[in-house]
Amino acid sequence: MNNKSYILVKAATNIISGLSMATLIILGVLYIGFNNAFVFNNAGIAVTNNPVTGGQINFILEGSREHKCVLTRVHSDAYDDATGESYQFDFARKIYIRSDDYLGSDTGVVDHQWAMPVPDGMGPGVYRVTLYSEFDCTYLLFKKRKIQMFDNISLIIG
Amino acid sequence: MEIDIEKNKKIARQVERWDLFARLTPTLFLVTCLILILFNIVSLEYAFYIGLSGFAVTAVTWWWWAIFTVKYLITVLNRASKGLNEVNTEVKKVKEELAVLKDE
Repeated sequence: MNNKSYILVKAATNIISGLSMATLIILGVLYIGFNNAFVFNNAGIAVTNNPVTGGQINFILEGSREHKCVLTRVHSDAYDDATGESYQFDFARKIYIRSDDYLGSDTGVVDHQWAMPVPDGMGPGVYRVTLYSEFDCTYLLFKKRKIQMFDNISLIIG
Repeated sequence: MEIDIEKNKKIARQVERWDLFARLTPTLFLVTCLILILFNIVSLEYAFYIGLSGFAVTAVTWWWWAIFTVKYLITVLNRASKGLNEVNTEVKKVKEELAVLKDE
């Protein structure tokens, strides 16, 4: 290898190495950000028709979503702290009021409203609702299963 | 003196090795990881932690190597400076003696 070729190879490896290092650092920082991000940011769930007098409970979820996440599992219970009884909500009977994208993956501002029937045997009282949800999130070449929980959602059955 | 020359050569070789390491490792690691992740041989999380560990080990090793090398270079520089001062003083003395001899 003559001197000119040596200088060229050295310069090329310098550039490639620098670009690789920059790529590794950028990917690392993005991965940490994605890994630590919540599915929903500044989000909250509330019951909009408290006290519930009919057979339907209306929920609202407001917040924002940074990454594309698809809901894979959802589970919700209502606890009556006075009696210690708990009731499970039937998500198979859920109907959407405002949005059809709680299960979807759109990013940006989230404003979903949905309704579910009052579980069988649920009497009047004050309940504390918890909602557990699992998502498959994707961002660039990253994929991760994430869990987000909402608790202390106040539900009053009239 | 011979020990110094030998050690200087050793440091020059180490610098060349660091240069080669810095030139090849990032690209090799990136390409290897991309291939392994694309073929589902390792997970992205695993590759991330391997990279992070490699980065940490390299940073710590380089840091201590740099500290010891700088310390050695300062010692050599001080010794050389002291030697030059001694030579300077002796040259002055010789000049003075020559001047005395001329006067005589």
